Amino acid sequence: MASYTERFGFDDTKLRERLRYFDIHETDLSLLITHAELGRELTPGIVEAFYNHLLACPETAEYLSAPGMVERLQRKQSHYFHSMFSGDLDLAYVEERLRVGAVHERIGVPPRWYIGAYSRYLVVAHAAFHGRLEQAEAVATTAALEKVMHFDAALAMDAYIAAHLETATRQRAAIRELSTPVIRVHDRVLLLPLIGTVDSNRAQEVMQQALIKVSEEQARVLLLDIAGVAVVDTQVADHLLKMTSAVRLLGAQTVLTGISPMVARTMVELGVDVGTMHTRNALSDGLELALDLVGMKIGPIA
Amino acid sequence: MIPILRVAGHILVSVQTELGDDVVETFQDAVLMAIHNDRGRTDGVVIDITALEVVDTYVARVLADTAAMAKLMGRQTVVVGMRPDVAFTLVQMGFTLPEVHTALNIDDGIAWLDALHTPGTTRAQRVGPLDAPRSEPDTNR
Amino acid sequence: MTAAALSHTVTLSCQDDVATARRLARSIALELGFDAFAATAVTTATSELARNVVVHGGGGFMGVEMVRDAGRVGLALTFHDEGPGIENLERALQGGYSTRRSLGLGLSGSRRLVDSFDIDTAPGAGTRIRIVKWKRR
Repeated sequence: MASYTERFGFDDTKLRERLRYFDIHETDLSLLITHAELGRELTPGIVEAFYNHLLACPETAEYLSAPGMVERLQRKQSHYFHSMFSGDLDLAYVEERLRVGAVHERIGVPPRWYIGAYSRYLVVAHAAFHGRLEQAEAVATTAALEKVMHFDAALAMDAYIAAHLETATRQRAAIRELSTPVIRVHDRVLLLPLIGTVDSNRAQEVMQQALIKVSEEQARVLLLDIAGVAVVDTQVADHLLKMTSAVRLLGAQTVLTGISPMVARTMVELGVDVGTMHTRNALSDGLELALDLVGMKIGPIA
Repeated sequence: MIPILRVAGHILVSVQTELGDDVVETFQDAVLMAIHNDRGRTDGVVIDITALEVVDTYVARVLADTAAMAKLMGRQTVVVGMRPDVAFTLVQMGFTLPEVHTALNIDDGIAWLDALHTPGTTRAQRVGPLDAPRSEPDTNR
Repeated sequence: MTAAALSHTVTLSCQDDVATARRLARSIALELGFDAFAATAVTTATSELARNVVVHGGGGFMGVEMVRDAGRVGLALTFHDEGPGIENLERALQGGYSTRRSLGLGLSGSRRLVDSFDIDTAPGAGTRIRIVKWKRR
């Protein structure tokens, strides 16, 4: 598994560009290093207050319900805030920030919660700096911290969004596969139970998956059951005819089953020409026909 | 050069390259000459298009024409090995090639051709296409 | 993958050029991440239209380029010839049975394989066809 920096194509050049875009200069980093001690001093108080705040809100509390979760996260958070004062904004730093975003996506925590953490920290740090440092120094140090926080947040967002898109794409692919379950019921006989609505997109999906399977399995018969199809109108009938034609071009046959009285009536009244398509009402009848077509039959033992 | 083989008493043509205008006539002539030279010994023609990644309307017509020409010479043709994406594309374009018999692969194609000439074959062995006219066994042999 | 890297022009004057056009369309479609079915659809449409340019248009050329629109990626192909133009466009687009060298089926068939199909032609004014296929999300 490639590192996050690798997956995002984040190299030194890109890093330098990103730092430039966020207006982060050596002077900013030096300031943070200078006041690192102060930053470390503030951290425990902020982290505890922050998590108390999260635990008090029912929405965020549920993310923290696992035992030991809060302690673990507080430790990580402390380490995290300290590192912003390290002045070491290198690829390892970037890797860590990207990882945070990806992890949050994986556990289902939306960005607003951890961006809220930055906000809180900034408020407290601002007050502390202005309390302990000279005006100009305080302003500059706060500004530097703010820049680094934005830099961090942007990276975490990049990773979160990328992971989210990947999840969505994976889910779409899974749905596509689930909606076309092709089952091998016997040697060279495939069963495809069609369920739900069949619009032209779905019809295309189903046809493509079915054709691939027929070819892969070298199936002689495709048993297509439409008992679960919500509506069978001329459009759907047309899709079914197309599927039969395509299956035939591959050199196989289709047996259409699940023709209910309603569907039979609709198809005849609409003038749908099933031509020489094999059709049956009950799946079991269709199965017997399919087996017959491959030279097999179901019979009593002895 | 179109490679033409004889397998189990039938002619087998494996189409390896895309059939362009320049190759088509050579292809058809080769098939018809093979039938002609083989008189009496050949039952049918198997055209294997497993290697064809693209079959446009022109190639589809060529295949149908070739089958028609072979039929005039008394031989049945079966086209085998069409790829899923090719079949899908043809149907999308509105081409179902009802006049061309098809089979999954060379073995099935040969089995179908054999069944045409064997009296008393069970229906199961006639793995023929559905929207093509049911063909009767050749009696003019 | 930059758009520039995917812009090509192919001269269409003989049968071999049709094969070249096909190969190019397929390879670019696959590089763009089109699935097998979409790639074959694009390649087949290309084969039809490129062949028309050579056989009926007296030769011409094909342009290929990547296109973008609101987050989706697609492939645009254009086919140009200065031939006799298409006389009865309506009928040609409707398809129907044709003889071996007739134009009809290729046009109506190709149209169904792509997402957009624009044709500009007139008797004596040549033919320009632009097709676009978008990549499935």
